[in-house]
Amino acid sequence: MGIAAFVALVGFSRAFENEWLKIYDSAGTEITVVQKTFLNTSVDESVGETLKTLPVVERVVPMVLNMMDITPDVNAIVYGFPADSYELDSLVITAGRRFHGNEPELMLGEVMAETLHKKPGDTLEIQGTPFKVVGVFHGGSALETGGVLMPMSQLQKLADLGNKVTAFHIRLKPAPGQSADERMRNARKIIEAALPNLKAVPASERAGNNQLVVLARSTAWGTSLIALFIGALGITNTMAMSVFERTKEIGVLRALGWKRHRIMKLILAEAAALGLVGGLCGLFLGWLALQILARIPQTASIGFASIRLDQAAETLVIAIMIGVLAGFIPAWRGAQLSPVEALRYE
Amino acid sequence: MSSCLLQARNLIKSYDDGNIQALRGVDVDIQAGEFVAISGHSGSGKSTLLQLLGGLDRPTSGEILFKGVSLSKSFDLDSYRSRHIGFVFQAFYLLPTLTALENVQIPMFEGKLNARQRREKADALLRELGLAHRLNQYPNQLSAGERQRVAIARSLANDPEILLADEPTGNLDSENSARIMSILTGIQTGRNMTLIVVTHENDIARNAPRNIQIRDGRIHSQ
Repeated sequence: MGIAAFVALVGFSRAFENEWLKIYDSAGTEITVVQKTFLNTSVDESVGETLKTLPVVERVVPMVLNMMDITPDVNAIVYGFPADSYELDSLVITAGRRFHGNEPELMLGEVMAETLHKKPGDTLEIQGTPFKVVGVFHGGSALETGGVLMPMSQLQKLADLGNKVTAFHIRLKPAPGQSADERMRNARKIIEAALPNLKAVPASERAGNNQLVVLARSTAWGTSLIALFIGALGITNTMAMSVFERTKEIGVLRALGWKRHRIMKLILAEAAALGLVGGLCGLFLGWLALQILARIPQTASIGFASIRLDQAAETLVIAIMIGVLAGFIPAWRGAQLSPVEALRYE
Repeated sequence: MSSCLLQARNLIKSYDDGNIQALRGVDVDIQAGEFVAISGHSGSGKSTLLQLLGGLDRPTSGEILFKGVSLSKSFDLDSYRSRHIGFVFQAFYLLPTLTALENVQIPMFEGKLNARQRREKADALLRELGLAHRLNQYPNQLSAGERQRVAIARSLANDPEILLADEPTGNLDSENSARIMSILTGIQTGRNMTLIVVTHENDIARNAPRNIQIRDGRIHSQ
């Protein structure tokens, strides 16, 4: 169960991170400019004017991001962009149109539209404000297709943000003669020199360290470690019982000349096998949990998670290591048994 | 002319902080190729003596010499048991989850044989003991006499110089007892091994060329 919790929680947070990366990738965003302070998403909108003047910057888009209760049962990420944002160009409108200007209009990702049973022309009331659904779109990321898009000014009003934004997304100008790394390093240096209170983060890093992802990852690892610890205690108990029940068997092996280290290896191999089997079961249960999470409305919008091969391998390695660590004390105790004492044991 | 293989010098073994004395100063010499019975009543200390000679336990004081070399000073007891001693127990002590063929291979894991060689050797030993048709049976599928024959095959797995049998016929009927003793003495003469049998059965003690009688932790006669 510990492994299942680990797979489900860490898998979910990784999928979440992965979906963020897809958003940046599909829109062509290379750098995001954000506050330096953790959990502070308030950057003044006027910063955009400064960014536009920098020689390395080709396009600048302010954006607001908020996690909201769309209905009492469904929450989702709501994105606010200006209507002319390049971020919207990568979306495929499957029904209706894009929102215009600063009207109380919104677009629904196709998963969210299905969850809410809404189509263009319908009205959706969010936190007391009625919005007209003008389009349904398909995005490159589950976070988009499970999300809501509206004019940035509307989201600022809805979330009472004034003229604050979450971040600026930036496309850089080509820099002939510079490597990709040099171009990125140079751009960050120029942006941070012009705006010393902010930081310029490559989009690939931002996907992994935005506040929502960091929180999700920390929670996932924290909870998983507790679950893994409890799982390790279970394996220790199982192995201790196994050694206890097989005292006479260990005595026979010792009497026949088996050295202590061979007894230890035998018990540790069993503990590792137990960890592996537990890991495989946990992997399956974790995968099952992710499939369920991806289908219930409360979580479907955050990101559909599948388990990658490297994650499965990592999980199995962790499970085997836990098995070996948890089996160490029982193995050591088993190896210390005197053959005579063990053979006398009834 | 046989040479002295095992020597016990003033062996004392006590338990419970000295409150129980199983052996109270035992001296015994055993020659290579000898068949020795150790007899005595229950609790006399005969099994304790066998355990000390076989390196299953260490004496509280005194010394055991194997080929003139002190066990406590010069031998790793695990290696001593693995290379030089074969054990046969009253309760057989076969591992229930392994077949006869696998049980016989257990001691060989401390040797240098590969998996195929281990299997071939175990196969040959079991055939030698008349168990060719029982190779892949589990202990609970074998009769008591067959189990003891598997245990004897296992005791020969590493070609030891000494075979130690602790009440090897204790769980057998008279017919099987006679057969097992016949097998053990046949192995002793055929392989020129040293055979030490702990027994409380007078017939076995009487038929052994040498009988060491133990009483209250001391040698009574030998």
